[in-house]
Amino acid sequence: MKSISLYVEAKSPFHSLHSFTKLFYLLTMIIVPAAVGTIGAFAAGAAVSLFFLIICRLFKKSLPFVIFTLTVILIVFIVQGLTYPQNSVVFFSLGNVRFYKEGLMYALRIGLNFWNILFAFALMILTTKPKNMVEDCEQIGLSPKFGYIIASVFQIIPQMTSTMSTITDAQRSRGMETEGKLLTRAKAFIPLLAPVVMSSLINTKERAMALQVRGFEANIPKTFLYKRNLKKTDKWAMSIMGAAMVASIVRRVILWLI
Amino acid sequence: MAYIVADDLKYRYPDSADLALKGLNFTVEKGEFIGIAGENNSGKSTLCQAFAGLVPNFYKGAYGGKLTIGGLNPASAANSEICTKIGLVFQNPYNQFSGAAETVFEEIAFGLQNIGIERSEMIRRIEEVMVLLDIADYKDRNPFDLSGGQQQRVALAGVLAMSPEVLVLDEPTSQLDPKGTSEVFGAVEKLAGKGITIIMAEHKTEKLAEYCDRIMLLKEGEIAAFDTPERVFSAGGLKDLGIAPPVYTTAAKKLGKRDKEGYYPVTLAGALNALNGEIPEVIRRLYPKREQKSVIRLENIGYSYKEGVRVIEGLNLEIDLRPTAIIGQNGAGKTTLAKLIKGLIKPTNTEEAHGDKSEKKGISPGEKSGQISEEYCGDILLYGESTLPKTAAALSSKIGYVFQNPDDQIFKNTVLAEVMFGPLNIGFSKQEALEMSLKALDKVHLEGSKDMNPYDLSLSERKLVAIASVLAMDTDVIILDEPTIAQDSQGKQRIAEVIKELCEEGKAVIAILHDMDFVARCFERVIVMAKGKILAEGFPEDIFYRGEVLEAAGLEPPHIAILMQRLGGEGRALTVDDLKDSGE
Repeated sequence: MKSISLYVEAKSPFHSLHSFTKLFYLLTMIIVPAAVGTIGAFAAGAAVSLFFLIICRLFKKSLPFVIFTLTVILIVFIVQGLTYPQNSVVFFSLGNVRFYKEGLMYALRIGLNFWNILFAFALMILTTKPKNMVEDCEQIGLSPKFGYIIASVFQIIPQMTSTMSTITDAQRSRGMETEGKLLTRAKAFIPLLAPVVMSSLINTKERAMALQVRGFEANIPKTFLYKRNLKKTDKWAMSIMGAAMVASIVRRVILWLI
Repeated sequence: MAYIVADDLKYRYPDSADLALKGLNFTVEKGEFIGIAGENNSGKSTLCQAFAGLVPNFYKGAYGGKLTIGGLNPASAANSEICTKIGLVFQNPYNQFSGAAETVFEEIAFGLQNIGIERSEMIRRIEEVMVLLDIADYKDRNPFDLSGGQQQRVALAGVLAMSPEVLVLDEPTSQLDPKGTSEVFGAVEKLAGKGITIIMAEHKTEKLAEYCDRIMLLKEGEIAAFDTPERVFSAGGLKDLGIAPPVYTTAAKKLGKRDKEGYYPVTLAGALNALNGEIPEVIRRLYPKREQKSVIRLENIGYSYKEGVRVIEGLNLEIDLRPTAIIGQNGAGKTTLAKLIKGLIKPTNTEEAHGDKSEKKGISPGEKSGQISEEYCGDILLYGESTLPKTAAALSSKIGYVFQNPDDQIFKNTVLAEVMFGPLNIGFSKQEALEMSLKALDKVHLEGSKDMNPYDLSLSERKLVAIASVLAMDTDVIILDEPTIAQDSQGKQRIAEVIKELCEEGKAVIAILHDMDFVARCFERVIVMAKGKILAEGFPEDIFYRGEVLEAAGLEPPHIAILMQRLGGEGRALTVDDLKDSGE
């Protein structure tokens, strides 16, 4: 079955970390550069995550994220370069269009922070099975029902996609064109969507009964097939990251007070 | 006191005026194997769900009387108590998976985690049931990627691991192919005699007769009979109850053969005993004379879903006006062949999987599933004209295709509107579409339901709506994909009549089927497929007596053919109609 999860099955230092350590890493990469507040901090944050992506051999997998965000960042550069309120020093001109240094620096700051968070996020989702993350959260108190909703999405959406292609075939068999002009596609919308919704509802009803039969509503403290404890590496990594966060925040508060 | 006691058990679904269970009284002893038989809507599934407390707790509705299982009342007990005492396996293997597990191992663990079983005990139980049900080889695979039979055994394992005292199986094989069915019954056979009380609702009366200690016949929510299989199936009036007795019983009735106790035999072993070596006389099959006309011709056709994996290879086939059944295990290429004929997919050459080269052969951009390469060889001809340049939608006025699952197409508010959708699409006027749709609904005996919402009908009736929606398009060719799934004996009878009428009207009927008794009864030509190739084709009485072909395709012949072969008779009987009446 085709998975919608972005997880990449591999062996790497990040794969072996506990999902909470990776969550902690993401938090650290958001808080520390923000507390330091310099362009250099954002650049360093992005560089660190990029370095980890490369040594985990995940750089290729993270490229789609970069390409996807390039357009957004380019727009930010254009808009801020032209319209940032504090713009005063012209950095370069394209004909009559002037790009200002202040706006471009501001855009660079936003862009680097964006990539900093994006790379850290990519590192987490490419190396963590969503199901493991949910289970780890359930073990520290997340409601199993909420956990089930998240975990089941990753299994049920691909199933719905394959149902959709059968439904398309069934309606084409009854003379309905499903592709081509916009009007043709618009006409096909209800005949294609309604069976997807109805069969999903029927499946959901049956699945709800099956869950009940298997003790989903048992109100007994749940046990777990897998127990992923925090290892020494996780504890060390979390301690260092925690210290970095505290230090950066304390520094920021002191700077404010002075 | 009996282990299961039903005392005036009544139930009515919400928004329904009629009782689904009308005051049932029965008892079951611990360790008994009980079969529940009855036509569709007779209350089988409702009763199964009452055992698990889903009726009334899940549906709500009006519940009366009392049902106790080992002193536990499922209607009022806590979910945690019910699910450790009663396990329920549903019809559809796919819908009963948790949907949250990535492997078979985790899927089986799902219920155990919910009821707080310790990890070491959990692993012990999972490994035990995996060995018992022969699924240990798939433990790391995604349950959704397994075949139907494997999926149903995983579902059964998930329930069994919770160590229930009662196992309720609600038509567990109704949606499976012959291999899947025998896998599940093989698993059920292992469980019988292990002390667990088993209750199984099933249309396949041959299987019920083989395994059950007693059989409960339900008719419109009431118990019509509850006794040993021999007594239940020997009794008269089964047709009125919508039940087809085991084929062996029907044969024995026709031949006038009873066992020592005076009952008709219900199993193969019983029939062989009752016949005591006597070989029944066989009536030679006669088929109606049909016009010799080639309708569809496939010339050297191949198809791959994935590069390098051929599903259909070098296939040549001619379809004429004889009703034709395509048989074979899942994965044999039957549905792919039907989709090629219908134009839903287009052939690929020997090297290529379906890509995106459609425009090179003038295929419309609409044809997204499967395209033709430049080196494409072969053709599909309908009355001598190539169908390859046409879209499936454009072919729909000539070739009709009824999909296996009716819910893949139904979207209108009324049955009539649903049936009219096809004729309107292919250019008939509203009046013409109305007339054709009413005629089609009449054929499947659903004219009385024309104003109902299709989703208020049962699955078997929805299947008949899907058939009517294609019949209404008045196509020259009709392809039926598993038409008998979820049908009771009356539903099968209706479909048999539809096939007969279509053939009389000069239509070409092609059906993909797993029900060999139905194939033997309704079809004049059988095509056996395996691994994307046609292994054999011919008259049913020839094909079903070619053991080597059936073995290669992983198929079993119809029950009467098995009986005749065991008796060593020369005659090639396939159905009870092929046996000569004893005159008793």
